Amino acid sequence: MIEKIISELQRVIDKERVLWRKTDMMTYAYDASFATQLEPKEPEAVVIPLSTDEVQACVQLANKYQVPLYPRGAATGQTGGAVPIKGGIVLDMSKMDRIIEVDDENFQVIVEPGIIQANLNAALKKYGLFFPPDPGSSKMCTVGGMISNNSSGLRAVKYGVTRQYVLGLEIVLPTGEVIVTGGEKSRALKSVSGYDLAHLMIGSEGTLGIVTRIRLKLLPLPPARGIVLCSFPKIEQAIEGVRAVYHSGIIPSAIEIMDIYATRAANKMRPDLNLPETEALLLFEVDGNKDIVALQVKTISEALKSHTDYVKFSDDPEQCENLWQSRKIVGAAVGNLKPGGIRVYGGEDICVPFSRLPEAIRRIHEITNSYNIVCGIYGHVGDGNLHTAPIIDINNQQEVEKAKQMIEEIHHLAIELGGTTTAEHGVGIVRAPYMEIEHGQALDVMRRLKKTLDPNNILNPGKMALPT
Amino acid sequence: MKPLTPEQSMYTCVRCGACRDACPTLDITGREADGPRGRVLMARSLLEDRIPVNAEIEEQMSRCLLCSACVDACPVNVQVPEIVMLAKEKIAEHKKSPFLVRTLKRFFFNHLLPHPRRLQFLGHLLWLYQQSGLRWLVHKLGILKLFPDSAQQMEAVLPDLLPPSERKPLPSFTPGCSEQNKRAGKVALFRGCIMDVMFRETNRHSIELLARSGFDVVVPDDQVCCGALMYHNGQKDTTLELAKKNIEVFEKLDVDYIISNAGGCGAMLKEYEELFRHEPEWLERARAFCHKIRDISEVIVEQGTLPKAVGNGETVTYQPSCHLQYVMQVKRAPEQLLSRVANLHYRPLPESNLCCGSAGIYNLLQPKMAGDILHKKMGYVKETSAHVIITANPGCLLQMKAGVHSEGLQNSVKVVHIVDLLAESVERAEKQASTG
Repeated sequence: MIEKIISELQRVIDKERVLWRKTDMMTYAYDASFATQLEPKEPEAVVIPLSTDEVQACVQLANKYQVPLYPRGAATGQTGGAVPIKGGIVLDMSKMDRIIEVDDENFQVIVEPGIIQANLNAALKKYGLFFPPDPGSSKMCTVGGMISNNSSGLRAVKYGVTRQYVLGLEIVLPTGEVIVTGGEKSRALKSVSGYDLAHLMIGSEGTLGIVTRIRLKLLPLPPARGIVLCSFPKIEQAIEGVRAVYHSGIIPSAIEIMDIYATRAANKMRPDLNLPETEALLLFEVDGNKDIVALQVKTISEALKSHTDYVKFSDDPEQCENLWQSRKIVGAAVGNLKPGGIRVYGGEDICVPFSRLPEAIRRIHEITNSYNIVCGIYGHVGDGNLHTAPIIDINNQQEVEKAKQMIEEIHHLAIELGGTTTAEHGVGIVRAPYMEIEHGQALDVMRRLKKTLDPNNILNPGKMALPT
Repeated sequence: MKPLTPEQSMYTCVRCGACRDACPTLDITGREADGPRGRVLMARSLLEDRIPVNAEIEEQMSRCLLCSACVDACPVNVQVPEIVMLAKEKIAEHKKSPFLVRTLKRFFFNHLLPHPRRLQFLGHLLWLYQQSGLRWLVHKLGILKLFPDSAQQMEAVLPDLLPPSERKPLPSFTPGCSEQNKRAGKVALFRGCIMDVMFRETNRHSIELLARSGFDVVVPDDQVCCGALMYHNGQKDTTLELAKKNIEVFEKLDVDYIISNAGGCGAMLKEYEELFRHEPEWLERARAFCHKIRDISEVIVEQGTLPKAVGNGETVTYQPSCHLQYVMQVKRAPEQLLSRVANLHYRPLPESNLCCGSAGIYNLLQPKMAGDILHKKMGYVKETSAHVIITANPGCLLQMKAGVHSEGLQNSVKVVHIVDLLAESVERAEKQASTG
């Protein structure tokens, strides 16, 4: 059957963009997740569309032959969210990457979903504008993927998440119709007309529609940034420090934490950083015009004085870059914590209530120690979002099994503390087992919505604990 | 030396995708298999015998430019080109090339490139071809049409060789000019093999430029080819022989630096330490050699003083060599030097981080992909409205010339090695000073 579909696809789409050979299928069987490193899932065909019409043609064919269709961006995901777990066709959206229009008069931009976040912001720079959500993967992730996962990142504490910037979407529905949310011709910056279908699509991980155009709200690009770096002997003191900064009346653009292992890893990779290896290292970033930045940096340093004796700060761009380095490199540096090990993604983006952060970090350390697995913790402490980074030898079966159990304990801990198993990276296949516990009856509504919009269960089936 | 071997680094890839936007072939097709992450997975599957050696995997591996942009972008330093090379070696073990190809390769890699005199002789022949009317005849009879488009284009853009009478050996010692500049040190020029036959003028300009920037310059006559082309074609034994010879030749000289003016050669020379990873008796000597390797632009910016230089009022743009920017890690020096030339308008080339498609002889082996990459690159060149494209490697120079040719820009755009532009600008400044 797949041969028939491939030949039909080749009739409507350039042959070079309809893939079916063995090596091509292998390379579409994974994302960055631990799960798909262990068990890759190959599609039967891949299409690289260049237009909404081509996407629509694929959806129509998928319905005609009842085969699954998996929209995918750059496959930088960490939960297997865009991986073809039931065979079928992968729709690689990364070549639909044009900026259609920068409407700087109205502070908005219209783009195709394949555009990379950092490339979009590089293009917006000359207009003095930016699209604020900035995941750690901003240099490789697509804006379409960010919408699928409602991504955020380091600056969510001040600027919020992707959802807050989406004004409208063009979507190919699972049944093949093309709709535009937020008003067919609208350039309005807000609207309450009708059901908010865009927000239903955002975070739906490609299960309810395929995004082909995006209208985004933009903000003025802050001209200056400042950094405060400080360290605390105890995690509890660090959290008190964050509280003190909030009470000083400042909303930093980022508040990041690194635990002792993460700090040690950064020092190992860049000894010149010479970071104090205490229980917690905090980095505050502020932005705005130059005077406001200088004032904020000073106020934060003052607010932290009684909580720590180690504070470094700067509003000089070069020095800021240097101070920010410790946070920038930590994701890669943690891999050095164990020779021969690699960092795997699991339990890596839990979020707990701000008040339970110290307990969360202490208990994660207890869990990882009990499994004897090296694990650094860092993350967006300002909103309680932690990245745990286990380092294991992926070729050692015993260690892989231990890591899986450990990750499960971390997920359960997040729920026990009144948090969530995922605050950034999505559900995919990895967090699907927790959907019922996290959402209760609401999961049933999600399943009904899926059935209504996708009666043949064509789009990204088998994800998010939706019907299979 | 790199902290991990290619085999080790193959297992550290977490498939995060950081390499994706840096890859020129993925940029063209969008196929995951044309990106570094896909290539590492395919190579690994082949090396672990999970997929067989066949024409499909051979084709996939040969589509990599080996430009190293992905290594530069990778947070954990996965050595993608070397992993691809391991896969290619395995493919080569299983597949014997036809007799003619093997003989030609053996002649080219073992009996021609390592021998400077034979190369010079080939240069004489080439000069004869260009000057005797034979070229005219070949064009007239349409013989070139029997060759692929890419070969025809390369023939069209080959530089005019100097006559044998003017291709005398480079001076073995040139003192640094001390009138305007303080003495910056003593350096040895690595002249390259093809570089020295085809771009003799650039080598001569390199000596002048270094001397005028304050360096004493020596050029040892017994140096040999760096071995890059052999190494990338799986001829490791020949490469090791050449490396040993070069180490011996240059360690006899009491110089501060060994200077390369071709990104490809410089990168290979810097790899010597890696070559001798398992030969302790050579490792230390290779390491000392590698520590002295510098690109010409880098050493002038860091240690020398570029004398006054004046341009011709032209608009220039710069296409970096991948080996220069990603392997030698020389990223800013060429542009810094250009910014010091008065009466020259420099416009950065968009997407200059991406390879031009030359990549050794990739443009001849993969003409379709190389052509697509070049076409896109020329679009960016047009955006800059530059009259001159500056490069820092002979392969890139010929490729960009081919681009100018195929886009019909011969009358409006020149392609120049950075050394030639700088040397001419310094000379112009001197002339202006003396006349005026």
